[in-house]
Amino acid sequence: MQTVKMVISGAVNAGKTEFIKTISEIEVVSTERRATDDTRLIKKETTVAMDFGRIAISDDLVLHLFGTPGQKRFDFMWEILAEGMLGLVILVDSTRPETFRETNRIIDFFVSYRDTPYVIAANKQDRPNAWSPEELRLALRQPPHIKVLPCTATDRESVKNVLLELLYVIQERSED
Amino acid sequence: MALVGNIRDFSLSDFLSLVDRGYKTGALHLSHNDQTARLYFEKGKLLLAARRPEDEKPELLVRLGVLNADQVAQACKALTARGNGVTLSQVVLDAGMVSLERLQGALMSHTEQSVYGLFAWPEGDFLFEHNQRPAPDAPLAPVPISIDHLIMEGVRRIDEWERIRDRIPSTDLVPRFMAPPGEKLKGMRLAPEEWKVFARINGRDTLAEIAQKTGLSDFDVCRAVYGFLTAGMLELVKRQRALNAGMPPVEQPRVKKSLVNRIINRIRSM
Repeated sequence: MQTVKMVISGAVNAGKTEFIKTISEIEVVSTERRATDDTRLIKKETTVAMDFGRIAISDDLVLHLFGTPGQKRFDFMWEILAEGMLGLVILVDSTRPETFRETNRIIDFFVSYRDTPYVIAANKQDRPNAWSPEELRLALRQPPHIKVLPCTATDRESVKNVLLELLYVIQERSED
Repeated sequence: MALVGNIRDFSLSDFLSLVDRGYKTGALHLSHNDQTARLYFEKGKLLLAARRPEDEKPELLVRLGVLNADQVAQACKALTARGNGVTLSQVVLDAGMVSLERLQGALMSHTEQSVYGLFAWPEGDFLFEHNQRPAPDAPLAPVPISIDHLIMEGVRRIDEWERIRDRIPSTDLVPRFMAPPGEKLKGMRLAPEEWKVFARINGRDTLAEIAQKTGLSDFDVCRAVYGFLTAGMLELVKRQRALNAGMPPVEQPRVKKSLVNRIINRIRSM
């Protein structure tokens, strides 16, 4: 059985857990705990380890989805998760500009050392005052060739679209 | 959809940079305690900055000593008569009441001073309303003002490491020009220390090395580089990547196209 891995990252409360829950075929293995730091102000529980979802591609191939921990003190996990990943989805809460700097830090971490295929998912586009994907591109200083996609992490079609767009990026770089 | 946030989290310099790079047209409304301000942009350039409602009225030209009250009254009358999208500044210039240089100089100086004052706000709500335009009788700069040097001015006023560290986490990073900087530099007015840093950027030296070679403090070097980054002139790379200039970073293991296609087909069918 071959397994391949995609990583879903983003700042606290960007929607990583929801994103994986929406598309995973198994119940997401999530180690949510009561938040004890400033994340408590945003939500009662936050991911302190990681989320894990799974999609069976065929009898001999499985896609694993890993959600990274949002808080800075779990940075060390990112390195482990990044190893051997097929690609990366960076989720951004489009309604909270205060998370854009942290999002940039995460992008920088994953992308600066590796030639990682990635897309940015502008989550919560269904909410009022969501910044549009093009505005997020400017705010996050992403070059034109990086896909910044509209996303609603609770909507299966929207999540599928983000994964497919990432797969198209990976496809372009893949070998025959 | 309006863009909303707080300049504590997304600084005014960052927002000006977004307006500049996105060629935005609209009005930025700012509020801090009992103060408010309104900035109007057209295609990424600044037309007017008002710290109080009177700054958007024709009488501003009297306060700035550009026209007298009779001339303003006369210009307003002519503006009403002409209608169809003509601005007060155009009317004033067409009537020969003042030269372009004098009008532009006075309004530019007033606008810049108004924006500089906003950089002192530690926090404040902002709301950017796309395509909102000033009233026809507002005293707009005849030539829209480039905001690159306003961004740099905002950065000069940063006196805390914390904000700079968000973008520059280490002095071991190497600043590198993204493209020949000539075009961007035209609208900028750099301070001597910034020129020193600028001249030392070669895509090989780290920020710490630049500080050593220029005799400036790490903070001063990082603040100048933060400004160049915000103005979209530079990128920061890690040392190893800089040494491999032109080479891609560590490559991901190549995957087979057939494998990717299988995953694509599966996701499509879900």
